[in-house]
Parts: sequence; C-alpha cells; structure tokens
Amino acid sequence: MTIAVPNALSRPGFFQRLSFANKSDVFTRVLVIAITIALLFYILLPVYWMLKTSFQPNQEIRVLPPIWFPTETTAHPYTNANRLIPMWRYVLNSLFVSVTAAGISTIIACSAAYVLARFRFPGATIILGLILLTNLIPAITRVFPIYFFIQNMGLLNSYVGLILAYVGFSLPFAVLMLRGYFESAAPPELEEAALIDGCGYFEAFWRVILPVCLPGIAAVAIFTFLNAWNDFLWASLLLNQGEMKTIQVGIGDFAQEGGGVQYVNAFMAACVVATVPALVVFVFVQRWLVGGLTAGSVKT
Amino acid sequence: MASIEIREARKAYGSLEVLHGVSIDIPDGEFVILVGPSGCGKSTLLRMIAGLESITSGDIAIGNMVVNDLPPKKRDIAMVFQSYALYPHMSVAENMGFSLKIAGRSKAEIEQKVSEAADILGLRPLLFRKPAQLSGGQRQRVAMGRAIVRDPAVFLFDEPLSNLDAQLRVQMRSEIKALHQRLKTTTVYVTHDQVEAMTMADRIVVMHDGNVEQMGAPLELFDRPANLFVARFIGSPSMNMLEGQIEEVNGAPTFVSGGFALPLSQASPAKPGEEVVLGFRPEHLSIAGPNSVSTLEAEVIVVEPTGTETLLNVTTAGHAFLALFRARLDVNPGERIMLSIDPLHVHLFSKATGKRL
Repeated sequence: MTIAVPNALSRPGFFQRLSFANKSDVFTRVLVIAITIALLFYILLPVYWMLKTSFQPNQEIRVLPPIWFPTETTAHPYTNANRLIPMWRYVLNSLFVSVTAAGISTIIACSAAYVLARFRFPGATIILGLILLTNLIPAITRVFPIYFFIQNMGLLNSYVGLILAYVGFSLPFAVLMLRGYFESAAPPELEEAALIDGCGYFEAFWRVILPVCLPGIAAVAIFTFLNAWNDFLWASLLLNQGEMKTIQVGIGDFAQEGGGVQYVNAFMAACVVATVPALVVFVFVQRWLVGGLTAGSVKT
Repeated sequence: MASIEIREARKAYGSLEVLHGVSIDIPDGEFVILVGPSGCGKSTLLRMIAGLESITSGDIAIGNMVVNDLPPKKRDIAMVFQSYALYPHMSVAENMGFSLKIAGRSKAEIEQKVSEAADILGLRPLLFRKPAQLSGGQRQRVAMGRAIVRDPAVFLFDEPLSNLDAQLRVQMRSEIKALHQRLKTTTVYVTHDQVEAMTMADRIVVMHDGNVEQMGAPLELFDRPANLFVARFIGSPSMNMLEGQIEEVNGAPTFVSGGFALPLSQASPAKPGEEVVLGFRPEHLSIAGPNSVSTLEAEVIVVEPTGTETLLNVTTAGHAFLALFRARLDVNPGERIMLSIDPLHVHLFSKATGKRL
C-alpha cells in the first residue's frame, strides 16, 4: 500500500523558495514581503477597526491606549444603529437604486455596445469619440449642470432622478468596455453561424452572443452596481430627504448629527452594514469581474 | 440538393469593386472548389452565396430561385467556417441540434438527427463535451456535424482546414470528400491551397483579383491552364516559366531563349517572331542522355530529397528552375548537370496577354 503525498508537500514550499543561495536575492524577497505586509496592514487596519468597534461596548472604545483586541463583544450596536437611524430602510433604498441603475445601464450598454462592435455606419467613430470624451470629464464639473437638469425635470429627491444620474454616469464606461468584450469574446462568425442556423439578428444576439459574453456583461453590471452603492456625492445632492436616503447618505447625516462621536459603535455597525453587500458581491463575483475587465486586452 | 447559378455577380465596397461580374454554374450534387490567393474574392463570393454579404449587382440562384434578397436562414444552406464558429456555451449535441431547435423541431427528432450525424462523423463519445474540451480536428468534425444535421440543399465551406496541422488536414480532406460522396449534396468549398483543390474537387474555379481565371476539372486545369496565372497557381511545385521568342528553324517553329532552342510541334499556333512564355512543369525535366536534344546546362543550387522524390533548385543563364525527379539522385549543390525538357509537355503563353497559345 502506498501513501499518496499531497501535491502541496511535493512542491517547493514558501520557505524553500526563499533560496539563500544569493544574499541580495534574499534581501529583495524579504523587502518585498515586508512592503506587502505593511501595505496590507495599511489597507486592512481601518476595515478591522470598523469591524472591531462595531462589536465593542462604547466605554471600551474610548479608553486610551486603544484596545486592539476587544475583551468583550456585543451585537447591541447593530440594534442601536437601527433605532437611531432607519438603517435597514436606507440599505433597501441603496439596494433598489443600485440594482435598478445597474440593470438599466447594462441593458442599454449591451445594445449600444453590440451595435458599435458589429455594425459599420456613418458617425460610429464620432459616437465612440464622444463616449470616450465623457469619461475624461471630471465628475465634479458635472455637479451643477446635472443638479439643475434633474431639478428642472422635477426629479429631485426621487429614486428616478438618482437612478437616471447613475445610469448616465455609468453608461460611457459600460459601453466602451462591453464593445471591447463583444469584439474579442464573440467573433462575427459566431453570429453568422447563428444567422445561417436560422436565427434573426435579435435571436442570434439573445441565444448566442449574450450567453457567450455573460462574464463581460456581469462585470459591467457589478461594476455599475458597486459604483452606485458606494456613491455619496450624487446621492447626497439628488436624494437627501427623509427615509428615501441611501445608506451612504444616511450614515453621513448620522455622523454630522453627532452620532459618529456619541454612538461610535452604532455608527461603525451602520458602516459595516453599508460595506457588507458590496463586499459579498465582490467576493462572489471577483473572478468574473477580473475576467470581464481584462478580456480583450490580449488576443487569445 | 440544388444547383447554384451565379450570373454576373459583382461586389463593391463604396467605389472599390472586389468582384467584377463573376458567372459560375454549379450543377446539383457537384463539389466545386473556389481557389485563389488571398484577396482574390473567393471568400466574398462564398459569403454572397450564404447571404452574409449583399450582392451589388447580378444574381445568385439556389435551386432555380434567385436568393439575392433572402436572409441566410431562408437559403437552405449550411456553412462550415474557418474558425469553426462553434457555440462555446453549448455542448457538442446542442451545437449540432441548434438549427433544428430554432426551426421548432421536436426533441425526439433533434436527438435522432444529431445521433445519426454523430455516428457518421464518429462524434458519439463527445456529444456532451463543450467545444473548449475538443481538439482542432474534433471541433472541425462538430462544425461539419452541425452542417449535416440540417440536410441542407447546399454546403458551404470557408477554408475549413486552414487551422489544422498538416497531418490532420490530409485526414480531414479525405473525410470531407467521403462525406460528399455519401451525401451527394452540392458543395462550394473555398481554399487557397491548390493541393486541397486538386484532390477534392469535381471542378475547380480559379479566381484572381475578383475575376474567374479558369473553371474546369482538376486535371484539365493542370494539363491545359488557360493562362499564366493558372499555370503558376495550379501544381505543386509550380510550373517553370521561360521567356523567349518563336523562330523558324529548319522549317519548324522553335522556341528560342538565349542559347536554348526547343523545336515545337508543327501544329503549334505560335507564329514566328512572337514573344512567348514557355511553361514546363518540374516533373517534365529529365537528366539529358547522349541523344537528347534541346538540353539545358544548369547549376544545382539546392537539393531537396523527400525519400520518394528529389527536388532540385537549379539555375541556367540567370533563370531559376525547379526540377522534380521520381528517383534518388546523387547530385550535390554546385554541380553542373544537363537537363532536357519533354517537348510533349510544354505550354506556350502569349507574353503580351498571358493567355495560352
């Protein structure tokens, strides 16, 4: 009887790969590892602090020197946060606005990108140039025109106004990215094969191109969702009244009203709640997102 | 099954005309190969038959029905693409049955037809695999399977073997030919490989710069090329060419080029004084014997033995030729040899028009 040696053990391990044959090589490797750890610490410390504080009693948070590892944990800050602000309502608002904006953007971007990728027509280059140009304009310069535009349409402090703004902001990037994806992942022959097999243009798109390009489409949808979910600027300008606020604006208002100082743990609990959906979406679809964003960058 | 008639078909992109009035008749059940160098318009013509490119002017009829304005799905055709164009998200069985599903056929009928095609092409063990899990040859077979399940009136092949390695190409070549012999479906096949054309076609259409240079059976094109282009294009290795003039020597028309003279048959249509190009295939050169006439002294530049034959690259009076021998020759680069041309197998072309004399 033989005992199978796991592959991980038969491969050169981390420490074995740190060959000591060359001193300068060892120094470089140690330096790289040290910098990586320092960067990770820098990036993850606020996240850890937020998570830790959201489970700590208030009296433990305020002590000096600060307690790095809580001795006592409680879920009370979460219930308290929902008592102080309509946290779950804000989360639902954010979800509604973000999912709707992502859905509408993706549908429009798919249609526009497919046409730009497949059909040659007069003005196509100009349209592409204009789309690229809108991506180059800093967001802050659009504040006044868009605010007054939404106001004049009577859509201020409405979900529709904010969704309209998000769709408008995300479309240029979404169209450019999906156009590249359609061109690289779905060669014209695929569509032609479907046309010969009996499909019309729409059926070929629906039955063949769409499923083939699903990773790219999902990446665009997720990217749009995350942008909308994490947005504070536009939500605070266009939808800042009553219980219709998004979670980001709700947390901002809570902090400004003194909640961030008086109820630090509840404030942090609300922050965790605002972070989790984006984090969950990202963790589950990270592979698609990376694949979708980088597709077409190299010819395979 | 159906015949295909192409009448004065033209294709222009803006002011650039790429097909200049092509007319071809393809009888029912014939295997026709469109062959020519890259950019000659052969794929464009195939795509026009398929309905993937519009027709600028002229007519294309399939089964006596003009299809100029019909979309691809209404032309009763099936096409195999160079890149196979298999649907990557579907299994082999789903790929093959897709057209039947779109046509609204029953599940049982789709299964039966896919199963029959899979048996013909040896695809049964692969039916539930995705295209990414198949080799190039297997993908090629699936692409053919997708075409044959539909039992179309016309098969169109667009350079289907270009992405395969040399060995697989030879194998697939005979598989496609065997498939045609079995199904007898009218087939139009595009390739730039003249060996593929010679070995598979009932009839070859040689195209160049958007025009048909010659149409005919493979050996007809090989034995009697209509012009210099066809003469150079058909045959591997390609035909040797020597420019010269017709002179009358001892009352007989003779081809003369530098110090070389080749008496021609009395029936030769070439007239004395006419500038001509003499064509002769590498296999029609032989090592000159003591009684040989019309000999050429040549220097051996490269020797390419393949085992069954020997190909020599030689030069004579500044002209480079190829000479092919069905034997193993004991010659070395730098040696000088005497070659003679078989006068029964020479081709004369007008230097001015390039046409066969």
